[in-house]
Order: sequence, then C-alpha cells, then structure tokens
Amino acid sequence: MIAVGALLHVKQLSRSPFEIAIALFVPVVQATLAVYLFRAGGEPDRLLEAAVGAGLMGVWSTVLFGSGGAIQNQRWQGTLEMIMLAPRSPALVLLPVTLATGITGTYAMLATLAWGRLLYGIPLDFAHPVAFPVAVAGCIAGLGMFGLLLASGFVLLRHANALANMLEYPIWLVSGMLVPVTALPGWTGPVAAVLPTTWGARAVHEAASGGPVWPALAVCLAISLACLAAGWALMTYVERRARVTATLALA
Amino acid sequence: MGALLRLVGVGGVIAYRALFNWTTPSIFVGTLLVGPLFQLFFFAYLGREFGVADDRFYIVGNAVLTAALACVYGGTMAVANERRFGTLGHVLLSPRSRTAIFLGRVLPYAGNGLLIAASTLTVAALLLGLRIPATALPGLLLALATAALACGFFGLTLGALGLRFRDVFLISNVAVALLLLFTGVNVPADSLPAGIRAVGAVLPITHAADAARRLAGGAPLGDVLPAIGLELAVGVGYAVLAAGLLTVFEAESRRRASLDTL
Amino acid sequence: MRTAGPTHRFPAMGEHAIEAVGLHRSYRSRTGWLRPQRREVHAVAGVDLAVGHGELFGLLGPNGAGKTTTIKLLNTLLVPTGGEARICGFDVVRQTREVRRRIGYVFGGDRGLYDRLSARDNLRYFAELYGVPGREQKRRIAELFELVRLTGRQDDRVEGYSRGMRQRLHIARGLLHRPRVLFLDEPSIGVDPVAARELRQTVADLAATGTTVLLTTHYMAEADELCGRIAVIAGGRIQALGTPAELRHHADGRRVLEVEAYGVTDGQVAAIRARPGVREVSLAVHGAAQVLGVQSDAGVDVQANVLRELGGVRLGRVTARQPTLEDAYVAIVNRAAEPAAVAGRMPA
Repeated sequence: MIAVGALLHVKQLSRSPFEIAIALFVPVVQATLAVYLFRAGGEPDRLLEAAVGAGLMGVWSTVLFGSGGAIQNQRWQGTLEMIMLAPRSPALVLLPVTLATGITGTYAMLATLAWGRLLYGIPLDFAHPVAFPVAVAGCIAGLGMFGLLLASGFVLLRHANALANMLEYPIWLVSGMLVPVTALPGWTGPVAAVLPTTWGARAVHEAASGGPVWPALAVCLAISLACLAAGWALMTYVERRARVTATLALA
Repeated sequence: MGALLRLVGVGGVIAYRALFNWTTPSIFVGTLLVGPLFQLFFFAYLGREFGVADDRFYIVGNAVLTAALACVYGGTMAVANERRFGTLGHVLLSPRSRTAIFLGRVLPYAGNGLLIAASTLTVAALLLGLRIPATALPGLLLALATAALACGFFGLTLGALGLRFRDVFLISNVAVALLLLFTGVNVPADSLPAGIRAVGAVLPITHAADAARRLAGGAPLGDVLPAIGLELAVGVGYAVLAAGLLTVFEAESRRRASLDTL
Repeated sequence: MRTAGPTHRFPAMGEHAIEAVGLHRSYRSRTGWLRPQRREVHAVAGVDLAVGHGELFGLLGPNGAGKTTTIKLLNTLLVPTGGEARICGFDVVRQTREVRRRIGYVFGGDRGLYDRLSARDNLRYFAELYGVPGREQKRRIAELFELVRLTGRQDDRVEGYSRGMRQRLHIARGLLHRPRVLFLDEPSIGVDPVAARELRQTVADLAATGTTVLLTTHYMAEADELCGRIAVIAGGRIQALGTPAELRHHADGRRVLEVEAYGVTDGQVAAIRARPGVREVSLAVHGAAQVLGVQSDAGVDVQANVLRELGGVRLGRVTARQPTLEDAYVAIVNRAAEPAAVAGRMPA
C-alpha cells in the first residue's frame, strides 16, 4: 500500500513542471553557485562536497515544499477531505506522498552531480562508492518520514506555505548541508543534533569524502522513525481536531 | 492627470490587496521577513567559512537581494492571479491605459520590497555585528528603493509571461534562483565567468548591491550614483518590456483567444 | 437585414445599439503532439444582428452554440475572423476604447471577482478601471448596492458571499460606468429560484431606464418574460429571430404529448420518432421517472401509436397540451442539427 502510493505520487510529481523545477533546476543553480564559491575560496578539492551539498539542499527543498504543497494542493483540489474520509489511517495516506517527495529529491542529487561532472569536470570519486547510494537512499527515506511530521503539522495550519517558505534556509544552514556545522554559533549545535537532516547530510557527506558513514546514517534513521511515530500520532490527533474546528476545507 | 494618478495610486493599492497572496500577517512575517533573514545568514556563514569576502559583502548584498522576493513573486501574482479569480476579462474591458493599470500595480510591491530589504539589513547588521556609518543611510535607502522598483518591474515582466504560459510560480521560482547566482550577490564578480556577469548586468539587484556595498563601506553618494543610475535604467527597461508584452499578449488574445479572459 | 458596404464606414450614429453583419469567428485547435492535426472550429459562422436602443434582446441556444463567443466578439474581448460589428456606431475591432466606455459585461458563475476584497473594494477598483470620476464613485457605488440589494453586506469579503449575492455584485460592477449596452451572459446560472426572480426584476428595471440589454440564457421562461425579441442561435448561426410570440409559431400546427414512464429504451424512442406525424421526440429524467415528450402535427393523433410502442413499459400520467416557447425552441434547435442527425440514422 505504501509502496504503490509512493510510486503513484512520484509519477504525479514527475509530471508537474513545478516540482521538476524545484527538484532539478534550482539545485543546479545552487550547485553552480557553490562551485564558484568553493573555487573563489581557494578550495578546489572540495568541489565534490559542493555538488553533494547542493544536492542535499535540493532533497530538503523537495521534501519541504512537497509535504507542504501536498496538503495545500489537496486543499485546493478539494481532495483533502476525501483523504480524511478514506477508511485508512490518514497517516498511511500521507506517508506515501512525503516519501514520494523524498524520492523526487534524488533527481536533485543526480542533477547536481551530473552538472558538476559535465560542466565543471568534478571527478565523482566517492570515498565509499558503495555506501554513497545507500546513504543517499537512507537519507531520503529518513527525510520522507520526517516529511510526515511536517505534513501533519501543515494540515493544522491554514498557511502551510508560510512555514514551508520560512523553513528552507534554516535547515540548510543548521544541518550543515553546505556550511559545516562547526562554523555556526554554538547554540545551533543541540538543534542540529535532533534534526534527522543533520545526520542524513553527515552520512552522505562522509560517504562522499570519507568518514564513518553507518553511525550517522543509523542515527538519521532512528530519529526519522521517531519523527514517523510522532507524525503518525499528530496526524491522528489532527484528524480529530480538524473535524472539531472545521479547518480542513479552508484553502 | 489627477484621474491617472488615482488609477495608478488607489488602483494599485486595491489591486495589491486583491492579488497578493502574502498579505496575511503570518505569511508576511514568515515568508517575507524571517525567511529572507535566514537566507542572509546562510550565505553570510557560507562566506565566513570560505573566507571569500567579508561580512559586509554578504550582509549588504543579500539584504538588497531580499527586495526581490516580494517584487518577483508579487509582480507575478499581480498579473497571473487574475487568471485564478477569473477577472482578467473584466480588467481588459477597461477603456483606460493598460500601462497605467499595470505599472500602478508595481508600486505597492516595490514599497514592500524596500521595507523587507531595509528591515533585513537592519536586523542582520545588528545580529552579525556589522557597523554601517550613519552618513551612508540616505544613500543606502536610495539604493534599496531603486533596487525594489527595478525588481517590481522585473516581476511585472515575469507576470506578463505568466499570463501567457501556465505554471506561473515555476517562472518566479526559477527567476529567484537565477537572481541568486547571476547578480553576483554571493560570489564576488571577479570570480564569476564573463557570461554570468553579462547577464547579471541586465538583471535588477546587481548594480544596486554594488552601490549599497560601497556606500556601507563609506563611499560618498556621488561615487555610487552611476551604479544607482544603471539599476534605474535596468528597471525602466523592464517596465518598457512588461508594457510591451502586455500589449502584445492582449492583442494576440483578441485574435487567437489565447488568454483565459473568463 | 443590413449588408456590409462602404456606406457603413461612417457609422450612422444612434441607429442601433448593437449591430453585427456577417460576424464570423473560427478557432484553430491542434491535437496530437508528434503529428499535429489542425482543426478549424467555426464557433460563430455568420451572425447578423441589429438591436435597437433600449431593447431587451435575448440570445438563446444550446451549449456550444456560439452565444458566449458572439458576446465576446461584440464586447471587444475577441476580434472577429470575418464580418463586422458596431456598438452605438463604434467599430468593435478598431474603436475599442469608445466601445468599452459604453458597454457593461456580466457573466454567470461565481468567478470574476476578487475574493479577498470586500464588495465595496471590488467596485472601487473597477470604478477606477472603468473611468468613473473619483468624486462620483462613492455615490454611484452606494446607489448600486441599493439597486442590487447588497446594502449592509458591502464591507464583507466576497469569499463569504453566496452565489446569488456574487451574481448581483457582478451586475453592480457591470453597471458602474452607466453603460449604454449591457451584456448579460447566462446571469441566472446556478442561482436559486427566488434569487433568479429578483435578478429578472433587476434586469427589467434596467431595460426600463433605457439601457440596451443583450441577454443569453438557458431558461426559456426567463427569456419569455423579459425579452422583447429573441434570437435562437445554434451551430454558430442565427436560426430564428423574433418576438417570443413569433417564435412560438415555429411550433404552430403541432401538439405535444407528454408521457410519464419508467424504463423507456433508446430503441423505443427511435421507433416513436419513425412514426408518421411525429416531429420531435425528447426524453428527460425527472427523479425516478422519465418524461417522454412527443411533438407531432396537430392533425395527426399519435397517442395510440406512441402508447403501442411503449407496450410493456410502466406508464404514469399522459397529457396532451399546446406547444410552449420551449417546444418552439426545441423544434428550432433540432431542425438546425437535422443534417447531422439524418446522416447518422439507419436507412429505414
């Protein structure tokens, strides 16, 4: 059920030029920016890191706007109420959507890597060539589950988009997708430590440029599972609450 | 003349309230005030990490860029949302000047952009500890205002395109990403290839960011006036382009029924 | 009917409010992507119209008959591919500004308003667009709220309005600049009966003040009650034109038999249609029942034949009556569609 749902939504998302642009075009621009920045900073050896980092940023954007947008789109189409009416648990209905947004996020990763390879000749010599795809897949699955927590929060809010628009850069920043976490003020450390994005990004970066991949990936998945559980509980609560306060159909 | 001013002023403000999706307090604060601030932090820390340029470069440059957010998305909505409400036909039935109607719509967005850029600059300078000489403030305000106006006309051009092509927000998202790269706000111009710099020269923000940085660094207003003039010229260029596109699309729509006028 | 000619280059002012000669509009559509096939659709295929000042003129026709396209040609939103049209003597292609000063346009449905604004702000904005002078706006807007009975709700956001209220606001917007000619495109669509009656009253009041109204509608009773003259349009052409009484003559010499039934098959309908004397057969569904309408020549009693064809079907009430405007309309529209229907029919 989850697999079929996710596949279906991947198809649906892949047909929307908007999602494709978010997943392909914007990350490529970010990657270009990162490449020039790394070059200007005199760190040409870290260009692979720039491409991978821009790809991770793209994955986060697709999950964030995908989860936020999924709810908003369902509202506009009037299908949100239909979903809530389905005899399945609403979380089970939404999880494939958020997983699918994560999967479309792989486009971003592939795009930035291909772009870096073709245009800037960045050699794709990963430190752990086998672990890298696994880390990316794990990171995406984790973000998909995290997405459910976001999505259930978004259902409650009338302006899911406001939150989504606001959350793009902070997560990029705090999770160390491009800027190492160590370069940030100390107080962001604890915030970063509880975000699955931090650990997912760390696992992927370590797979690319060397380091222990598996512990970080394990932490990422563990936090993600916790988010999934929290999201599930929140979704069940939200469903009840939305029926009481009638916020479901409001667009 | 008075009637024309009314159409531009009063009409522009009502249209802003009617068509801008982001006027509610939550979304205004989240998307237009807090969001841009994080964007600025992101690039400021990135700049610090790589030591490419100093804080002033990143803070001032990105603050000017935030003016583009409200303008690009707003300008797009100002035209393309007519489609959502089904009001385009009624607007096109107006016997009055299209140029006045649509250019009037830009002004509130430009004002909005100025507000965002000024507040982002203030907050970021305070939080990240950037000192800006008080004497630079009038010049900075002028640079920001010019940037906001230029962005507004740029947004209107995108909106005109959005009238004709579906997926409006695709256009604005792509445009915002391109501004990030091409205006040289985050990578010093001499590190960018000539092609990117050439495109940047005809985009809004580029010249204003340059002027604002030099002002914040203590340059007298007289020195940066040419750069501000260039920004203004870019803005006027987009105003003309937008007016031209709107005229062409309207004429085309009457011939080929290409716009959703209902 | 007038013909196009050089004499019309200098329009005779004041003669007609709406004038169209040989109006034609075709759309090109492309289907297929790899091997695009171009198709040309003639939405309006030669319409001649002359509507006098102060006239309340109805344009009737089935969906897709070309009503809305005709209106869009007349109100400058579309340029005709052939023929010409004038509003108050001004050419709709070239003198758009003059035309737009003189026309109002109202269409049915709940779109076309800025939902986030109050009704008053909607009107203020369009007052600017339609060139109502600043000092007159306030008075004019208050007057219109009175006219369309929205006083008291004018500062509420339009998103909370019911369909009937939106419709009345549409009308107020259309009247802001005191247009000489008002186009009403299916204004009563989706409006409840009480609101529809109020709407008709408003339209009648307007016509009484000398505004020329071109009304399109699906509701025969509405057209019958309001319009001085009616044109029936089908297949992009005007099929009949006249007063409601004149149009009724199209069903002259006919009688209508209505049979309430449960479970009439298509085959039975076709068999009844083939009976001598039968002119039109229609089948409508009302709740659980079907209503079979049979128009026949008045001199032929088809009742026995019809009931024989319906053998085995459970029947309800059977009534015979004189034709109405609606029957005339059905007759006109079906006649327009006839060639296609004949081509598709099996040889007897």
